[in-house]
Amino acid sequence: MEAATIAHEGHGHHHGPPEPNRSSRVEAQTLGMYLFIISEIMLFGAFFTAYFFIRVVIGDEWPAENMHLPVAVAGVNTAILISSSATIHWALESAKSGNRNGLKVGLLMTTLLGATFLAIQINEYVNIGFPPASNAQASIFYSLTGLHGAHVFIGLTLLVFATTRAFKGHFTEKEHRGVEIPGIYWHFVDVMWIVVYTTIYVI
Amino acid sequence: MSITQGPRVNNGHAPVGSGSPEVVMHGPDGTDTGWLSWLTTTDHKRIGIMYLFATFLFFILGGAEALLMRLQLGMSDNTLIGAETYNGLVSMHGTTMIFLFVVPVLAGFANYFVPLMIGARDMAFPRLNALSFWFLIFGGIAFYASLFFEPPQAGWTSYAPLSDEAYSPGGGIDAWIFLIHLTGLSSIIGAINLIATIHNMRCKGMSLGRMPIFCWTVLIYAYLLVIALPAIAAAVTMLLTDRHFGTAFFDVAGGGDPMLWQHLFWFFGHPEVYIMILPAFGMISEILPVFARKPIFGYKAIVAATAAIAFLGLLVWGHHMFTTPIPSVVLAFFMISSFTIAVPTGIKIFNWLATLWRGSIVMKTPLYFAAGFLSLFVIGGISGVILAIFPVDWQLQDSYFVVAHLHYVLFGGSVFAIFGGLYYWFPKMSGRLLSEKLGKLSFWIMFVGFNLTFLVQHSLGLSGMPRRIYDYPQAAGWEGMNVASTIGSFLLGIGVMITFVNVLLALRSGKRAGNDPWHGNTLEWFTPSPPPANNFDVVPRVRSLEPMKDIRRDVVKNTGDVAGSVSQPVA
Repeated sequence: MEAATIAHEGHGHHHGPPEPNRSSRVEAQTLGMYLFIISEIMLFGAFFTAYFFIRVVIGDEWPAENMHLPVAVAGVNTAILISSSATIHWALESAKSGNRNGLKVGLLMTTLLGATFLAIQINEYVNIGFPPASNAQASIFYSLTGLHGAHVFIGLTLLVFATTRAFKGHFTEKEHRGVEIPGIYWHFVDVMWIVVYTTIYVI
Repeated sequence: MSITQGPRVNNGHAPVGSGSPEVVMHGPDGTDTGWLSWLTTTDHKRIGIMYLFATFLFFILGGAEALLMRLQLGMSDNTLIGAETYNGLVSMHGTTMIFLFVVPVLAGFANYFVPLMIGARDMAFPRLNALSFWFLIFGGIAFYASLFFEPPQAGWTSYAPLSDEAYSPGGGIDAWIFLIHLTGLSSIIGAINLIATIHNMRCKGMSLGRMPIFCWTVLIYAYLLVIALPAIAAAVTMLLTDRHFGTAFFDVAGGGDPMLWQHLFWFFGHPEVYIMILPAFGMISEILPVFARKPIFGYKAIVAATAAIAFLGLLVWGHHMFTTPIPSVVLAFFMISSFTIAVPTGIKIFNWLATLWRGSIVMKTPLYFAAGFLSLFVIGGISGVILAIFPVDWQLQDSYFVVAHLHYVLFGGSVFAIFGGLYYWFPKMSGRLLSEKLGKLSFWIMFVGFNLTFLVQHSLGLSGMPRRIYDYPQAAGWEGMNVASTIGSFLLGIGVMITFVNVLLALRSGKRAGNDPWHGNTLEWFTPSPPPANNFDVVPRVRSLEPMKDIRRDVVKNTGDVAGSVSQPVA
């Protein structure tokens, strides 16, 4: 069974499969992360739908009578998380310019800031004084902030990997995808928190 | 010099200038075929085959559930199956067919054929690809494990409050929730993988405008999955916490509302319909031009219509909720947006008809299924437009008319296309030809059985038979049509089994297919059947929508030999 024969100019010093072709400017890994973030936005979107449904369509009082939200503490926490976006950006820029100390300190600071955020949020849960089961408002409060907290945790896991690798001497000016992609995710987590904070605590 | 594509002959080893090409035996990489190699594989073709094998098993399970339901309904006042068992069967059948058959079987075909059609070595993320598959299997196991305690009984929609702890205290609903979580993760990861593959790994010369329509539809299917699935993931998570942690999302007493469930569910549920049909459209768009021996009519129109359907599909979820308390003006919006979908769908139907028009039709089994798809899908589409008129829907909601409609689009549409795809691509996957005789027999029995089952259900619905009932009195006058429907369903089952027998026979002793039994247009027909682990030794530069046609033309030009241009002439 002789197969299709085609005219071809190539001579074969080449073994195995042909070189893969890249048909887009974005790397597959970066594209994959962006797509994952789109699905994450839709996931948060569904919980925000629940929030607005409860607050606007059903017309429940917000916050409910038994809910006293620590707006100021959460505001400080917001500042902590936003500053961690700056430090990861600094870490990535340092990696690109070959500044190893900047890379390490940037990643370490980001991780610590993220961990602080999570600790303050857990403390908030402990002291807030109403359980998720008390009413629909409490349910959506815990599920939106909790969903976000889970994402901070995932982001922290990625950051711990990146930090460990940075201290092991990984990443160069050319090869820093392991910082860049957790960075994209971390920025997403931060921006999402601004939306969560605004809807839950402020408006 | 000429290059031969094939695993055994490799001119590439000949030093430049030496006289005779060296023939080397190089088995494809990774020829290990033990069971462990299947568990650990990251090869898109093997994963694709596992997807197909697993999903067709689930198809048999879901089909058996359907036949049990039809047995129960074949007689008035029947006592064969109790009410609870019947509810379990309804829920298992719907969930299985949607989450464990149609969506993942399309993922299976996409897994196997997208990299081949775009001239790639594998998917963009091979290990994630394996993860998608195993999540699907775990989801199926979690769901079917409920058979051993208590199957879910709230339908595939699991509406709150029926699915709440108070009304469904057993674990069946939880099994259903975990199925949604796991298959959802499977689909999202798989979708991201497919999108990254299609955007990033097309071979030289294959611009988006030269990409096979199947790849386009898979791309749009994948985007829809990424956008729609998180809504149901969120909804079932809320249901889970409502059931076990006392939250009040769907609980009116706590300030929630069951309507929230319906909105979130159908925001996913309607795009899901297009998730299940768009790649089927893609298969039809591949099959028709090959067997009409002329190019697809209106390539750009078909692709644009696919994108339009996907976009509009995100805006019509309310038509599943016409009988809920929603202002009429909103219902009117959903009615008009649903009507609008008929336009791009109609565009496609006419493009397909125009593809066949004045073609040199080659009557093979894949074309039978494609033609069956066209006729049945049009019927389902028309009954869909009828149901989209909300005052009409107030009458028909939850009647057998709806059951008939959804089976015409899902079975008459998706499943007939999937069978067409199976007959079309099986020779590539196995290297063997399926029997045409059994294939056509299977088609005709399925076609007659299908219409006998579901055509009468339109009338049953119009005469008032509600869906999801396990029993009806003789005085209702529904018995005759139900008997016809039950007989039809068993015919349908026999037709399906003939195809499975055909597959088993072909695997044992089918005729060898060669590279290109159908004179295909797309790159998957350039590799040997089955393709080696590395897919291509040489990837030709793509110059048009139909690279294989170019290759055949080149061969004729260079050698003057038509017969030698493909491995095997169309039998």
